[in-house]
Amino acid sequence: MVKDTKACAKDLPEAALVPSEHLRFMNRFTVTRADMCISCGLCASLCPYGVHKRVEGHVRILPPDDRRCIGPSCEVNYFFCVANCPTNSLSVGPSETFASLGDPRWTSEMILATWAMSETGRPLPLDHPGNVGASGGGFDKLHFKLPELKGKVDPSQICTAIDLNRRDSGAKIRIPIPIYGGGMSFGSVSAYTMLARAKAAKRWDTFTCTGEGGYPELLIPYKDHVITQIATGLFGVREESIQRTRIIEFKYAQGAKPGLGGHLLHDKNTPEVARMREAVPYTSLFSPFPFHSVYSVEDHKKHLDWAHAINPKALMSVKVSTPNDVEMVAVGSYYAGAHIVHLDGGYGGTGAAPEIAKKNIAMPIEYAIPKVHKFLAKEGIREQVTLLASGGLRTALDVAKAIALGADGAVIGTADLVALSCVRCGNCESGRGCPRGIATTDPVLEKLTDADWGAERISNLYGAWRLQWCELLARLGMTDISELRGRTDLLVHGNSQPKEASK
Amino acid sequence: MTAEIEVLLESRRWMLESRNDMSARPQEAEGGCGVVGIASTVPIAGRHILQPLLQMHNRGNGKGGGIAAVGLNPDQMKVTDRVLEEDYLIQVAYLKPKVRDDLEEEFIKPNYKVEKKYKVEVSADADYVKSLEVTPPEVWRYFCRAKKEALDEFVKKSKLEKLDSRRAEDEFVYQTSFKINKKYYAGTTMTAFVMSHGRNMMVMKVVGYAEDVVKYYKLEDVKAFVWIGHQRYPTKGRVWHPGGAHPFIGLDEALVHNGDFANYYSVSEYLAQRNIVPLFLTDTEVSVLLFDVLNRTYGYPLEHIIEALAPTTERDFAMLPEEKRKLYRAIQATHIHGSPDGPWFFIVGRNCFYDNKFQLMGITDTSMLRPQVFALVDGHVQLGLIASEKQAIDAALKSISTQYPSVPHYADQYWNARGGSHTDGGAFIFTLFPEKSAPDGLRLICTDKFGTPVTTSQEWDNVEDFAMADPLPQKPKLSSLGAELVAKKSPRDAFNLFVKKVQGISGSDLNNMLSHVVQEACRNDSNMAECLDLLTLIIDMKYSSGRIRRSRLNQKANEAITRMLRCAPMVEKSAKSAFALVDLKNRDKLRVPVSPFDRLVIDCENFPMEGDDGVSFLIKRARDLGWNRVVVIATHGQRFIGAGLGPKSKGLRIDVYGSPGDYLASGLDGAELFVHANGQDQLGQILAEGKLVVHGDVGQTFLYGAKGGDAYVMGNAAGRPLINAVGRPKVVINGTCLDYLAESFMAGNPLYGGGFVVLNGMAFDPNGNPTDLPAPYPGGNLFSLASGGAIYIRDPKKLVGEDQLNGGRISRLTKADWELILPHLKENERLFGISVEGFLLKVDGMTRQPEEVYRKIEAVPMVTLAGTTQMQETGD
Repeated sequence: MVKDTKACAKDLPEAALVPSEHLRFMNRFTVTRADMCISCGLCASLCPYGVHKRVEGHVRILPPDDRRCIGPSCEVNYFFCVANCPTNSLSVGPSETFASLGDPRWTSEMILATWAMSETGRPLPLDHPGNVGASGGGFDKLHFKLPELKGKVDPSQICTAIDLNRRDSGAKIRIPIPIYGGGMSFGSVSAYTMLARAKAAKRWDTFTCTGEGGYPELLIPYKDHVITQIATGLFGVREESIQRTRIIEFKYAQGAKPGLGGHLLHDKNTPEVARMREAVPYTSLFSPFPFHSVYSVEDHKKHLDWAHAINPKALMSVKVSTPNDVEMVAVGSYYAGAHIVHLDGGYGGTGAAPEIAKKNIAMPIEYAIPKVHKFLAKEGIREQVTLLASGGLRTALDVAKAIALGADGAVIGTADLVALSCVRCGNCESGRGCPRGIATTDPVLEKLTDADWGAERISNLYGAWRLQWCELLARLGMTDISELRGRTDLLVHGNSQPKEASK
Repeated sequence: MTAEIEVLLESRRWMLESRNDMSARPQEAEGGCGVVGIASTVPIAGRHILQPLLQMHNRGNGKGGGIAAVGLNPDQMKVTDRVLEEDYLIQVAYLKPKVRDDLEEEFIKPNYKVEKKYKVEVSADADYVKSLEVTPPEVWRYFCRAKKEALDEFVKKSKLEKLDSRRAEDEFVYQTSFKINKKYYAGTTMTAFVMSHGRNMMVMKVVGYAEDVVKYYKLEDVKAFVWIGHQRYPTKGRVWHPGGAHPFIGLDEALVHNGDFANYYSVSEYLAQRNIVPLFLTDTEVSVLLFDVLNRTYGYPLEHIIEALAPTTERDFAMLPEEKRKLYRAIQATHIHGSPDGPWFFIVGRNCFYDNKFQLMGITDTSMLRPQVFALVDGHVQLGLIASEKQAIDAALKSISTQYPSVPHYADQYWNARGGSHTDGGAFIFTLFPEKSAPDGLRLICTDKFGTPVTTSQEWDNVEDFAMADPLPQKPKLSSLGAELVAKKSPRDAFNLFVKKVQGISGSDLNNMLSHVVQEACRNDSNMAECLDLLTLIIDMKYSSGRIRRSRLNQKANEAITRMLRCAPMVEKSAKSAFALVDLKNRDKLRVPVSPFDRLVIDCENFPMEGDDGVSFLIKRARDLGWNRVVVIATHGQRFIGAGLGPKSKGLRIDVYGSPGDYLASGLDGAELFVHANGQDQLGQILAEGKLVVHGDVGQTFLYGAKGGDAYVMGNAAGRPLINAVGRPKVVINGTCLDYLAESFMAGNPLYGGGFVVLNGMAFDPNGNPTDLPAPYPGGNLFSLASGGAIYIRDPKKLVGEDQLNGGRISRLTKADWELILPHLKENERLFGISVEGFLLKVDGMTRQPEEVYRKIEAVPMVTLAGTTQMQETGD
């Protein structure tokens, strides 16, 4: 199919400045000024970054603006404030909050970078450490061989759109960026969080997904951008929610916890959540691990046919984890009528997935994608399937790597939440949930997230990511993201980004 | 005996050793499938296996189909009786016909005395052959016995002297076929393989649908006593080799399989320890090898073989008698590693050469994860049937009745097996054996794993049945009963009269009566409505039908309904009638109804099973146009009836006749749906509101994830009814369930608007009288992990124990509980005639208080499932 590059880069949302309410004090370094300070103002005149500020007419110098400080490595500079202070009242050190933020998979650099993109909509340079984690495996060991940029990137000339229906029949749906939001149920996250994601999805003409906790009414105005998930518990799955959607997602398994169904521990099952799921409040809700109506592939086809009987217009997405025979599952899903095959790898998952399941079961996604991609090609059906990957795809570069491995696009979960100022504390399942008011259904806590503000932040992140993809494609000499698919030759395996392109 | 087993196993050592020099090929992908098996006391033609397979077309994807036939006809096989019975019927499939000379030279000629050899005829229809994706192989048939010298040498080399010479010959054939397959199939060449080598039986398989086997190899008229068929749905896309298709063979048996195992490698290792090596790399092949080793090597009786395959576990094990437990423990200790784990259902057809019997059996896995239906037809012609779907059985019967008109369109009995259970062992066996007194010299008996016979409950008069097997007369003679019935004020009065009169009526009179009713019905709308109600009652209700065969009566009443409603005007023709007929051809001409009480009759004869032309879309369109009454007739497996109507379907009533398919009423949200037949699998999934009434049994995962609505089932539910149901479903099941009833039930507190299930634990005897089942709930898992809702179980003798629960508790029925369920029991009485005072509350003839009869199973707030502090908040 020939794509019109210009048309696919038209009418995309603009970025707006959306500062975070909570994170003003989140810095890499802490600059402390002791009481000995005489407010002479020397530091303010020396520091080129504007950490120190002496306002004319004020008796005292302003407290240091830590966010601007470049840290102890500044000591080589003549303007290093600590060395120059006549009263020795300044000190610079690593910030404890910063050090305690994140984990090897989501490093503090990456969280901060994601926040920065969410605030500004400006892309991160492709060589910034915030693009890659420190897990020592997975996407953190894959890097692009990137030639230097020749000339300027013109995003309006670069297409990042993908088709969600590549079969001959059914509605044609195209999204301008190669991602949509993955399922997070009402109950696991708040209604406002879902609303923020839906609003962002609408703005970008892409999708978000209900997860398996039912379809909250406040999402109905965004129904063209909300995927209805049918998961093993069938919680909140009704004909009307299947009928109002453009895409039906069958969640057979979750990469974060293959072999297990969804978990919602009792504290989070508030009366409101229980009402939506029509279950008993404050009981733990465990979805069964399989669909009890589907124990084999002909059952699977029948299951898809059933959803088709309810909503013949909708596309079918089949979300599976990555067992050893994942390629067979993918082919089986194609023959059962799926438009989208969604591989969910094991790196993702919020705090609710049990550790043992999260890290020890199923195949890593970076093995699964090329395996499925090649097998579908061998079977001659690769061009009829939209192959999406998810499960720990955190950054624009992760998405690009997944595409280079053979996927068409990706599904995003945690990154959306980080854009909403999630600090990755990993306590999503416990108590009433989240200190940031994201993964909670507590009626007070959930008010911490404002849906419009959240939508802007997610939208900014998507915008920044798109610009990152544009730069990446431009440097690779491509104009369309589909050219990147399956280009494993552009990737190298190693601990760090190769300095020079080998071309 | 043990020595013989060891020698036999030892003789196969070379097979294991040859494993290493086989090229490593990945395991073939296996998926689900549609399976069917038929055993009959009269030879039936291959075309009858075609229809059920066609109707389960959607259970395959055209990547493999196959059939097996046991008990063939000597003339058709072009051999004498003796040769057919005694010789090995070796069928070799040549993918590359040019290897035949080499293969025959190397393996056939030196080993076998060939008494007859010929190429199997194939379809001459060039267009049809061209339409096949992969041309099926050339198949050659060899009727042969082992050459004496070759056999002697084999016996000597393998030290099988102690073995009976015929059994040694069996092993010789088995190992020779292995050699052929190893050389011509297991390597990279894949040029030929042995399809079957048993006595008086054959296997045919192709890449494609099972129908293609029958058509391509011209089996339409080939006769056999036992047929099994298989639609394959492998997940691997480009299959070009029929070697992976089912059935697979042991020696004299063929096996088809639906499902797949999780422990293929473990089972393979178990076999390797016994020097047995699979060559075709599918789990079906290992299944039949397992069967063969347990049968032919260990010489186990069938019961022990079944126990080794599907071990009895948990509560069911504890319920077995002491000796059985001892025996089964020993079997499990030896063979548990060979027991297939995962969803599977086997159908085996075999020739028991040494016992002069043919057998057809179905074996289900311990967890009952695959759909399975058994059926028995008794009478002049006896039939045993097994299939993945009930409608496939009906399709087979309808097809067979064209060859043998005395075969009814519906079986006399349908049932499911309870896998790994102490009640039936999860397996049923149809055995055909010669008996002089039998009409055709053959008798069929059905037994479960333990040997307990299954019989049809009714005794009817075969002469009357033959008379009734004739088609309904087009122009009835004057029927006084017909006139009397039509003259009655209400259909209910007419039905009561019918029940009285049916006792003494003859078959031809009954046909005449039905025909008369049809004729009267076609006169005007009000007649039509009343006659429809009368015939519906005749089908739905349970009563004594005297000398008349009940399954035949149902068939004829259904035929009468179909014929009667087909005389309604086509929907585009007239708007004057209160009935309008629509079928596949004129469905685009659907119009709005004139009156809101008009009935739309949908004739399913030509509708596909599913897809965009499916009947569910037509019902939806009818609803959108304002039809409130829809009558769906002549269903034969159509799926999704009542799905997709959306949330505003209240006020719509759908009546379904025939053999409807899976997922009926799934998603129903307001409408009422009446099934005047048995239901199949996945009925009422996510049912939200409305009413579902089934005048029969329902299949697997009934009401999975249901949110609400009322449901009434006259008979039993199969496995996992109401699993994960929430909200407020209110359900009455009059029979029982296989197992896992109301697992993870989360339907609130039934006394405050939540949901519940009433389980009555009853059945009807042949005279239509309600009787108690031996146990209201035989399964080992009841209300497991449920956090809400309740089960009201009719259990006056307190047969259900706490050991069947996992998290729930049994408590005393309160007045409030009784007031809650009584209206539902009253409605149940109205629908099915199961009287509350007259039967349900009677124990050994004495009327008891409700709390003495019903017990309540309710949720216990568990520490692991619910925070204790928060539980207090649920009060508000």
